[in-house]
Amino acid sequence: MIFGRRLKNSINLFSVVSVIAGMLIIVPMLNILVELFSPASDTWRHIQTHLLRGYIVNTLLLIGFVAVFSASIGLFTAYVVTRFDFKGRRLLSWLLILPLAVPSYIAAYTYADMLSYTGTFSRALRAIGLRHGINIMTLPGAVFIFVMTLYPYVYMMVKSALEKQSASFTENARLLGASKFRSFFTIVLPLLRPALVAGTLLVVLETLNDYGVVAYFNVRVFSFAIFDAWERLGDISAAIRLSAVLMVIVFAIIFLERFLRGKRRYTLHVKNRPILRKPLVGLNRYLLPGSLWLIMLFAFFIPLFQLFYYARLTYRHVLDISFIYLVINSLTLAITATFLTILIALMIANFNRGRQSAFKRGLLKVTNLGYAIPGAVIAIAVIVFFIDIDHALYPLYRLFNPDTGRLVLTTSLAMLTFAFVLRFMAIGYNSIEAAYDKVGEKFTEAAYSLNHSKVSTLIRVDLPLIKSGLISAAIIVFIDIIKELPLTLILRPTNYDTLASRVFRYAREEMLQESAVPSLFLIAISTLLIYILTHQKKKGVRIHVRKS
Amino acid sequence: MKKMILGLSVFTMMLVLAACQLGTGDGGKSITVYSERHYDTDQLLFDMFEDETGIEVRVIDGNADQLINRLDSEGPDTQADVLIIADAGRLHRAKAMDLLQAVHSDVLNENIPANYRDADAMWFGLTKRARVLVYHPDRVDPSDLSTYEALTGPAWEGRVVTRTSTNIYNQSLMASFIEIMGEEAAKDFAAGLVDSFARTPSGNDRDQAKYVVEGGADVAIMNTYYIGRMLNSSDPFEQEVAETVGVFFPNQETTGTHVNVSAAGVTKHASNVEGAIKFIEFLSSETAQGLFSSANYEYPVNERVEMDALLKEWGAFVAQDINLSVLGEHSYRAAIIMDEVGWE
Repeated sequence: MIFGRRLKNSINLFSVVSVIAGMLIIVPMLNILVELFSPASDTWRHIQTHLLRGYIVNTLLLIGFVAVFSASIGLFTAYVVTRFDFKGRRLLSWLLILPLAVPSYIAAYTYADMLSYTGTFSRALRAIGLRHGINIMTLPGAVFIFVMTLYPYVYMMVKSALEKQSASFTENARLLGASKFRSFFTIVLPLLRPALVAGTLLVVLETLNDYGVVAYFNVRVFSFAIFDAWERLGDISAAIRLSAVLMVIVFAIIFLERFLRGKRRYTLHVKNRPILRKPLVGLNRYLLPGSLWLIMLFAFFIPLFQLFYYARLTYRHVLDISFIYLVINSLTLAITATFLTILIALMIANFNRGRQSAFKRGLLKVTNLGYAIPGAVIAIAVIVFFIDIDHALYPLYRLFNPDTGRLVLTTSLAMLTFAFVLRFMAIGYNSIEAAYDKVGEKFTEAAYSLNHSKVSTLIRVDLPLIKSGLISAAIIVFIDIIKELPLTLILRPTNYDTLASRVFRYAREEMLQESAVPSLFLIAISTLLIYILTHQKKKGVRIHVRKS
Repeated sequence: MKKMILGLSVFTMMLVLAACQLGTGDGGKSITVYSERHYDTDQLLFDMFEDETGIEVRVIDGNADQLINRLDSEGPDTQADVLIIADAGRLHRAKAMDLLQAVHSDVLNENIPANYRDADAMWFGLTKRARVLVYHPDRVDPSDLSTYEALTGPAWEGRVVTRTSTNIYNQSLMASFIEIMGEEAAKDFAAGLVDSFARTPSGNDRDQAKYVVEGGADVAIMNTYYIGRMLNSSDPFEQEVAETVGVFFPNQETTGTHVNVSAAGVTKHASNVEGAIKFIEFLSSETAQGLFSSANYEYPVNERVEMDALLKEWGAFVAQDINLSVLGEHSYRAAIIMDEVGWE
């Protein structure tokens, strides 16, 4: 009886959606995870003896350096922009997000080209009789590319946390005689921890998932290894084993963070007194803004100028009417998938608030899976899953159209959209969870105690409170989807091109100049979106709680 | 809550209905092509085929292995009628996975020489590419060049560049060596070549040519058509690079230059076999073959076709005398050997 009542209490929109979403994510994965239990093949032993060590060392080096540098740059930029006042601050505060609009693979191709013999940079140096010995197609080069294109994840999260941080803490610390440095390291930084960690984690996951950069630079990390085992060695079960090792690494990182965080909570119920930005004095007036512009230069303007130069050379024979369709396809696909991802992530985040049962914790880990598995492996899983669904639904299809083929959903956009949701759920979820962490449960509990239903509380209390977190989650997911490659390429319906697939088509044929035009379109859309979302009118958050 | 559920179910229904519209069959008026080739010229050819026959060509382009895998997962329900792939080894893999069907076409047999089509008529070569030596004329006298194997001596230490071992063209090159000289000798060759490398392999084919002109290396192993396309690049500086370097066809006195093909086959479960055959026949026709050669600088397989001026300038050459199916048979061992000798 008691169990029955508890079950009834726990059945609501959030739990139902969460469980269904969890199932939908885990079932396709099961199809491939079975491979783990097949006996080790000769290929796997070959990988173990000759390659695995290198993969592990390179992967750890890559994510280690990328994490440290992007966390530092993200923290530094966010701190300068929120705590100091200087000319161009407002402009920089949104410009610094823009490098996110440049897909890593485009940055990699562009930089490699500029530094190659025929590249702009090398030619400029040669003109004055100099040579450079920079070879960017190396592990440090890959670190540079990832840091420059991914640090905005850290920047965005830390900045929004800093803006919410109340001035009273640091002021009290300073009044009590703590030095600037001490108050920064003992007060500001620990309070930023969830945002800093969440941002850096996203950077690390994106890095682990990238294939374009590491393949071009021949940096042998796990994503590279998985494709290599699958394609060159033709052994899919070895590829899946490698993904499993990668998953173990990812979960180890996540667990380590959770473990170090322990039982600490980061919700603060303090009257929020905004921090007054200090004007910069002395050398810092030039040094700090200058360094921000320098970061912008390397992460955004240099690749952009190069792309414009190439676009000028090639737009005449590349740009045609089909670009309208490319833009429409990219937009509709990204909008639909982003909306669904955020909606489901929101349901799961709501389901997960409050006391955590083992079941909930398990579900959470499952929904994070999509991000730990490389795109190409997800693609196989999703195809197999959709073919099964189509077979099951075939009798239903025949009711509508007796001549219909068997593969209906598999040949539609539904498959690609589903794969995107599966893949980017973790980003959506983690950003929303971070936003909830900041708000705490005080208001939600108050609303429940005032007899508001869960849905009405969500819409009238929680949503307005986490609006900015939700928006940044949506930006990140949208930009990720619009530039995503392996899934788009393999799961799209016939004759369906997007901007990203067009970029890839040229880049893979080594026609970098031709890929400039679609690349610029891609960057323009993301830039526009970032501009709009960072320039919304700031409305005060008002919460109406009806008295009853 | 109830509203939400209602909304969700209406949404699902709409999705299913929309999807059913998409799945409508069209009775032989279209073919679906899974293609690894996606040059702008190919799209042009597809459009020409549509105009000529009224058969619509639907394309999914992507990487060879992903297309093969998708075809395999879709099984008998696949919509694909034709598979086009830019490497004989991978086509062999598709054949071995039982994804292709034999085709009997006099047109194809006449247009395509026997060593460029599968012995069981499962796939047909469309274009040839030769993997040649590209050198800097200031630092290399072409009379010092002879064979691929000759690049392994101490005289060449630190002077050779090529792409990574993951690159399919290098994998197939190694596979052809296994066929011609046996595994032991092929492994010695690979180990020697690694000792001659000027740098850890990275980048694409064009990057290798640039590195030679830059002075980082003296000889690059790369495909002919990249030189052709660099000569016609939209970037004037790339044209300069291609004009600087010399092209040498190795092993002319011995086993012949390594040649690979891009090729097409009809899928096992094709729903429009007739259209698919017509399509491949069209691609082997003189019109299509001429375009492959003039716009993409690939060697046509159809011997009646006039070659592009640039290809003519390079002259006729002796190609390896092997049936290209063997590239697929040895590709796995080739990969293993390359790992063992530390070719990155």
